[in-house]
Amino acid sequence: MLVPSSWLRQMVDIEAGDSELAEALTLAGLEVEALEPAYPWLLRAQVARISRVEPLDEDRRMAACTVETVGGEAVVACGAPNVREGMLTAFVPPGTEMPDGKEVKEARVYGINSAGVLASEYELLLEGDAKGIFDISGRYRDAMIGQSISEITGIEDTVLEIGVTPNRPDCLSILGVAREAAAIFDSSARCPESDVNGSHPLEGVSITIKEPALCARYVGASIGGVSVAPSPGWLARRLLASGVRPINNIVDVTNYVLLELGQPLHAFDIDSLRGPAIVVRTAVDGEKIVTLDGKERELSEAMLLICDRDRPVAVAGVMGGIDSEVTEKTRNILIESAWFAPSSIRRTAKALKLPTEASYRFERGVDPTVQKKAALRAVQLVLELAGGTFKGVRDENPVPFTPKRVNFRPDRINRLLGTRLLGSRMAEILAALGFKVEERDGIFATVPPPFRADIKGEEDIVEEVARCHGFTNIPTSSPVATLIVKRPQSFIPFIDRVRKGLKCQGMSEIISYSFVAPSDLQALKLSPEDERTMVVRLLNPLGEDQSVMRTSLVPCMLSTVSRNIRRRNLSQAIFEVGAVFINQGAGVIPREHQMCCAAVMGRRYPESWAWPDRDYDFFDLKGLVENLLKGVDCDSFSLDLPSSAEPFYENGTQLDIRAGEVLVGSMGQIDLGVAKAFDISERVFLMDISLEALAQASSFRKNFVPLDRFPSVERDLSVIFDDFVRAKDVLDFIRKNGSDELVCSYIFDVYKGKQVPAGKKSMGIHFVYRAKDRTLSEQDVERLHAPLQHAILKEFGGLLRS
Amino acid sequence: MEDRLRSIEDKAIKAVRQAKDQETLEEIKVRFLGRKGILTGILKGLGRLPRQERPKVGKLANEVKVRIERAVRQRLKALEKEAGPKVIKGFDPTLPGRTLPRGHLHPITTVLHKVCSIFERLGFSIAEGPEIELDFYNFEALNIPPDHPARDMQDTFYVDDKVLLRTHTSPIQVRTMEVMKPPIRIIAPGKVYRCDSDVTHTPMFHQVEGLMVDREVSFAHLKGILTHFAQEIFYRDTKVRFRPSFFPFTEPSAEIDIQCVMCRGGGCRVCSDTGWLEVLGAGLVHPQVLRNVGIDTERYSGFAFGLGIERIAMLKYGINDIRLFYDNDLRFLNQF
Repeated sequence: MLVPSSWLRQMVDIEAGDSELAEALTLAGLEVEALEPAYPWLLRAQVARISRVEPLDEDRRMAACTVETVGGEAVVACGAPNVREGMLTAFVPPGTEMPDGKEVKEARVYGINSAGVLASEYELLLEGDAKGIFDISGRYRDAMIGQSISEITGIEDTVLEIGVTPNRPDCLSILGVAREAAAIFDSSARCPESDVNGSHPLEGVSITIKEPALCARYVGASIGGVSVAPSPGWLARRLLASGVRPINNIVDVTNYVLLELGQPLHAFDIDSLRGPAIVVRTAVDGEKIVTLDGKERELSEAMLLICDRDRPVAVAGVMGGIDSEVTEKTRNILIESAWFAPSSIRRTAKALKLPTEASYRFERGVDPTVQKKAALRAVQLVLELAGGTFKGVRDENPVPFTPKRVNFRPDRINRLLGTRLLGSRMAEILAALGFKVEERDGIFATVPPPFRADIKGEEDIVEEVARCHGFTNIPTSSPVATLIVKRPQSFIPFIDRVRKGLKCQGMSEIISYSFVAPSDLQALKLSPEDERTMVVRLLNPLGEDQSVMRTSLVPCMLSTVSRNIRRRNLSQAIFEVGAVFINQGAGVIPREHQMCCAAVMGRRYPESWAWPDRDYDFFDLKGLVENLLKGVDCDSFSLDLPSSAEPFYENGTQLDIRAGEVLVGSMGQIDLGVAKAFDISERVFLMDISLEALAQASSFRKNFVPLDRFPSVERDLSVIFDDFVRAKDVLDFIRKNGSDELVCSYIFDVYKGKQVPAGKKSMGIHFVYRAKDRTLSEQDVERLHAPLQHAILKEFGGLLRS
Repeated sequence: MEDRLRSIEDKAIKAVRQAKDQETLEEIKVRFLGRKGILTGILKGLGRLPRQERPKVGKLANEVKVRIERAVRQRLKALEKEAGPKVIKGFDPTLPGRTLPRGHLHPITTVLHKVCSIFERLGFSIAEGPEIELDFYNFEALNIPPDHPARDMQDTFYVDDKVLLRTHTSPIQVRTMEVMKPPIRIIAPGKVYRCDSDVTHTPMFHQVEGLMVDREVSFAHLKGILTHFAQEIFYRDTKVRFRPSFFPFTEPSAEIDIQCVMCRGGGCRVCSDTGWLEVLGAGLVHPQVLRNVGIDTERYSGFAFGLGIERIAMLKYGINDIRLFYDNDLRFLNQF
């Protein structure tokens, strides 16, 4: 809501300056978001002297005027008849937005560069005509070059830009803001009165309301013999400062009263109404109307219409029809001032995608008692500005307004606010806001004013008291609270353990949007049976590339890797934790899984003298995964060959991550084709795990293992195996067949190349033997190790390497 | 004899003071004080002196020895100081350390942790809820019926007419109160979505919701808790301003401004010259919301609040473009 300060001050006396007023309104709940000059073009337009006039065409209509401005000379093309050398006029520099919304630009006119315009009073929305440019010399003798037009005319004002919350439609008018200001500054608001005779019955137009539930009141007032013309400057300026573009005196009056009193009005050309009649009814499916903006609108059954005898002439509360529009030829008008049901107007405006100043107010709720007053106010202004004769008014009010009653208990309000206000003080506050208050046996009964439809219960009174007493004046204290022993279950602490487990291994966390492009999911080559193809699609996405909810973090990860490669971040170890969404059908919420995805690519170590220069490989990622699983105390995990292949890994590089028997995720190298779809040509290693499954398998418990008391004996074994022998099989075999004293075995070396025949590999295995109860002798160990060594060679066809 | 001792002392001390390095000093020390040194020789020859002179000369010789020793020590210190720290050949301890990549949490995660932990210390517990929500929890149960203009306050992504992406974390209030009886104190972090995208808005962002329901919870308590919070997360002396606003699920409703952390209230571009920054929305829980979940509004009252994490993170770290959070450029992420 844009409120010109001078207009507000016309309706309420306040001594405070504009910024003090703004602060006070803000602290009472009407947030003043900005204070701006009301007429910026009058601040930019400046007094200039025409020093030379040179005709630009033969019949001397256009002239190149050299003007002296405060910034030097400028040449401006001008076609005004009253241009003369030596005159002071209004020069508007380029970059200025004029009242008609057009920006003044440097332009090439008749072969010259015209750097600005010379403006008429009319163009500047001053009281004057459009016949020639502003002749300042004649009107303002003291004017000096460089002064702004605002300065010489004294026409200036400030606009308060107020963010009105949806619960306060009463403040969508100057009167409403004036009432609030009056309550704050202990003043009183003046409502402009009309001296038009309100009991003069309406002549010549019938009014019928067929839907009293949707139209509780319809006031029609008629004026005959008006002269439609542009509005005077003061009116046009006020409208423009309030964000409404002036059109003609009739339409401008309806808008003026809308802004002044908050009641949307509409003016019909009576001569275009068939009947002439007004019928308020709902639309018939498929019915059509061309609205004032020139667009044909198809109407549906639930929409409320204003019709004449035969056809719709307006979409009620939203926009009028073009057929009954007030034009320059209009002589006789009907002013409509009605009350429509908020939700009906809201649905219609939404359905037609046609939000207007009128619908905005109707859907929030208009004062149901102001319709006749607003109509008569408009009549008065029309008579003043457009002449004509008042032809009476009719007030159809099938559902009269019944005031509500709301009780409150002062002690309850004090308990809720933490204050100690007297009931009488609360009553005072409410009275200043226009409430009627009565006290009976400690209970206060109030009748809120008709424009406060938001006051429904005691809690609303609490708010009124709180905001008018001032939030600042409410004490600040600490609650005395009950200890809560039973806490809600949360998954977040586990997620944080996973985050830390990856962070402390040098990985960086990313957060990406939960919506992705369908093509990103398709790039994973998932089979149609995969549940990750059951996407949730948004009805109103911002774009196709953000139109489905992700069913996997993998595309987000690959997009991020790709983006970072393009930005030359060539060492990446990143992870994300977040939800994925699996569609469960319409009307129900999807299944949400918390997943963790990690990827590594590029340089393994920082560029430094201290580290080897090599890239991330499969086993770097495998090590990260193993450490992560140990870090969340998942004791029973294994990384094994996959039971079913994920299509986005390079064939043969995938491992399944299991906790016991449960599959919790997978890891591997991203398939080169999939990577390519994300514009990646580098090798990327990726892990994808389900956090719910992992949490199930993890514990917060640790079991202590007693420290060794006896020394160990160690053995190394170097064997040449066929290339296809797998490390895991060998280690499993050793674990299964080794004696109890074999406490540890691991592979310390894998070698292929010189001295190893083609198709073979050399594997170095280290064995650690230890007994729990004694020191093992060399002979003891030999007795245990020799058969194991033999069994290994036999099982896997290995040869001892000499 | 005494003269001789004095002359030895003079020579020794002169030599010590002129010693250019530790090796020379050591030689001098050996020459005078060593087992075969000059002074040692004299001490050994004491026996040849007349009996009555022996104590006097012996004492003097000892004094000379102590003085020379002291001079050697002092010179040694001076030489060490001159030479600077010890250097091992072929070992350069000034080479940069062998640092492993450090790893970084996303700044949003870090700020979420900070916010939650402030409230956890006050006895609030973490709660959570689904990101794709029913219209019922996101709007209706929060006193926002269909066709209510308050729905315009949040641009909603819809999945169908009943299902949407939650526009705030407030549905977690309702979900919690459905399963928990008062007293309730929860803090609920999470992602939220609105169809809005420009320099100051991303279509996904993070909020933290707080809810306290107990006997005798008042607006004064809300002010107390949130003032404490603002001063913990920003500065101890941050000024906090409560002003009336509107949310359908709280009454009275407040917006909470903090004194601008950039200009400390003087007015700057960040606070549009107002000196204040809006950081929180809050209020007493609307009785209708409590009634919707069967809580007796005569016995219990509560307050709720919500804040945007991106805004807090931007203010804390001086980040000027919200889109950086979801761009995931490692040059950005690795700063936190």
